[in-house]
This record gives sequence, structure tokens and C-alpha cells, in this order.
Amino acid sequence: MKSDSEHNFVELLQKHQNIVHKICRIYSDNEHSHKDLFQEISIQLWKAFPKFRGDSKFSTWMYRVGLNTAITLYRKSLRTIKSQPIESVAYKLSYQDYDDTKDQQLKLIYAAVKKLNDIDKGIVFLYLESKNYKEISDTLGISEVNARVRMNRIKTKLKTQLNA
Amino acid sequence: MDELELLKKDWDKSKKNYPNLSKEEIYNLISKRSSSIVKWIFIISVLEFSLWTILSFSLDSSNNAIEKIQSYDYEFIYYPFVGISYIVLFGFMYLFYKNYRNISVTENTKMLMERILKTRKTVKQYVIYNITFMYLGIILGVIMELSNNSETQILISDIKSEGENGIYIFYLIVAVLSLIAMALITILFLGFYYLIYGLLLKRLKINYKELKKIVELE
Repeated sequence: MKSDSEHNFVELLQKHQNIVHKICRIYSDNEHSHKDLFQEISIQLWKAFPKFRGDSKFSTWMYRVGLNTAITLYRKSLRTIKSQPIESVAYKLSYQDYDDTKDQQLKLIYAAVKKLNDIDKGIVFLYLESKNYKEISDTLGISEVNARVRMNRIKTKLKTQLNA
Repeated sequence: MDELELLKKDWDKSKKNYPNLSKEEIYNLISKRSSSIVKWIFIISVLEFSLWTILSFSLDSSNNAIEKIQSYDYEFIYYPFVGISYIVLFGFMYLFYKNYRNISVTENTKMLMERILKTRKTVKQYVIYNITFMYLGIILGVIMELSNNSETQILISDIKSEGENGIYIFYLIVAVLSLIAMALITILFLGFYYLIYGLLLKRLKINYKELKKIVELE
């Protein structure tokens, strides 16, 4: 049953799919989990789509639902990784292959970002997407002050990690 | 240079490296998962139903009981009793099917949430019905034994010949024993309910909560 809204949704998602891919890049460690997360976000977007009334831009709405899905899943996977230490090792091994960045320093920065907690990853992601603090706080549902404070902490965290 | 600045430069540069899924691929991604959720809910319903059916069959199948009932001339109560129980059973079977059908045609999250709640309610009603029916069965069995069992008849007349109060104590003991049996059955059923349904209903509840979160997100 392909309804009009479904056509409409698929068209919009296809057009803006880069946003989802980028969220996946920040939140997943390998191609496999990238694909899983991409599907999960697509499904959550589709489920939430009937409630999308165009008050905000589709892409803005996508950032919100997509990041929230990634954060929720990340929290779930933290629990699984704890109970399955072998798998997390496997992730780390294949991680280098997944990241195609050549520059050694960039690799280290990416690795440091992946070590951040779920919300902080979201902040870094939105920063990379050139969002201002107002947009970051709206998307993640935190206050602007909190977003700024967290950003400063992230910068310090990255510095200490990279210089250690 | 700031680490994040460096990262941002690279981020902007690698914009074009992402996979590009076609509309068809995206469509498949969405439909595959939503249909599997529906299937999952249906499997739970069928499982819930068959478990109780198997249980009721295994309790019903003692042939001795039927012979006893025939010897007591209680068929006029027993057969309608069993008949009604099967009609209700099929009624529930239909309700479970209807829940499944409704869930598979659900188009939006809110409707799905409502239908999950409805499915949970049907299951609970089913369990309450089963327990109530067991109570009725026990009461009927006790009355049957008291009025027809020859050994019980002799016992009752013995007690009656010894004095008025004795018979009340006898009935009181019977009532207390029946209540204990009912309590045991309730514990057994509820234990079963928590072990199997409790887990399944919990999963449904989690699903419901996740859906709710998505709705609230928006």
C-alpha cells in the first residue's frame, strides 16, 4: 500500500538522506552499524512523519528525530557492549577500515569524538553541520547555556585526550 | 588550530562521499521493518492464545470426570458449561484475530499505540475470564460431590445424626477447602500469567513507550 504521504516522505528522505548518513558516521563504528542505524532512523522518521506538519523545515525535523533515535540506540548499545566485551573488541578492529580519512591527526580527532557521550556527539555533529547554539539547543532539547558549557568541556576533553 | 576547526574542514570536504540510496531502496527499508513489527505482535497474540488453549485442554481431558458426571446425571449442566466455554474461547480467538487485522492496517503511530493498548486489554480480559471460569468449575464440582457422591452422602447423614452443629462445621470446612483450592489456582494462573504474558506484555509496553516517545518528540 503506497499512499501519497509515503511517496512524499520517500522523496523527501531521498533528497535529504545525507543528513542521516552523517548522523550515522558520528554514531556508528563500522559499515554494518552504519546501515543498521540508517534503517532505524528511516523507520523512526517514517513513523513520526504523520505528525510532521511543516511548521519547521523537513531537514530541521530530520536532525531532531534522527539524532534522538541515534542517542536512544546508542544508550541501548552501551548496555549490550558491556555484556558482550568480545563484540566491542571486534568493532574497534574494523573501525580503522571504516574511516577512510588519510590524515593521522584527523583520525585521532575522529576517534576522540567517538569516545564522547551520546549528547556531546550530537553537539559536535551539529557544530560540524554549522548550526548555531540556538539551533543546537532546540534540536537536542537542552538549554543554550548548557550547549555552550558542554561545548567548552568537549573542547577541553578533546585537547587532553589528543595531547595525552 | 582548534581540533574541532580541523574536523569541520574535513567534514565539509567529505560531503560527497556518502552513499546515495534510491527511492526504491528507501521504500524497502521502511516497509520491511513496519511489517515485521506487525508480524511480531501477531505471533505474540497467537502464542498467548494457544498457551491458554493447551492448558484448558489438558485440564479438561480427564475421562474419569466425564464418567462421574454421567453417573451423577449432571450432564444437563456439564455440557452447556463446556459448550459455553468453547464459544467464549472462539470469541477470544476472533478478538485476537481482529486485533491482528487492525494492527496490520494501522497507518500512523497514534493508531498503533491505541491498538497495542487494546491488544493488551484483550489478553488481560482473557486471563480474568479463565480464572473466573475455573472458580465456577470448582463451585460446580463441590456442589456435585456434596449432593451425589454416595460416600459423602453417608458422611453427611452420619454427621447430621450426631447433632445440628456438626453439619455447619462440615460445610464450613468444605467452603474453606474450596477457597484454598481457588487461591491456589489463582496463584498458579497469575504465576503463569506473569511468566509468559507478563514478559510479552512488557515487550508490548516497551514498544508502546517507544512509540509514545516518537510522538512526543515531534
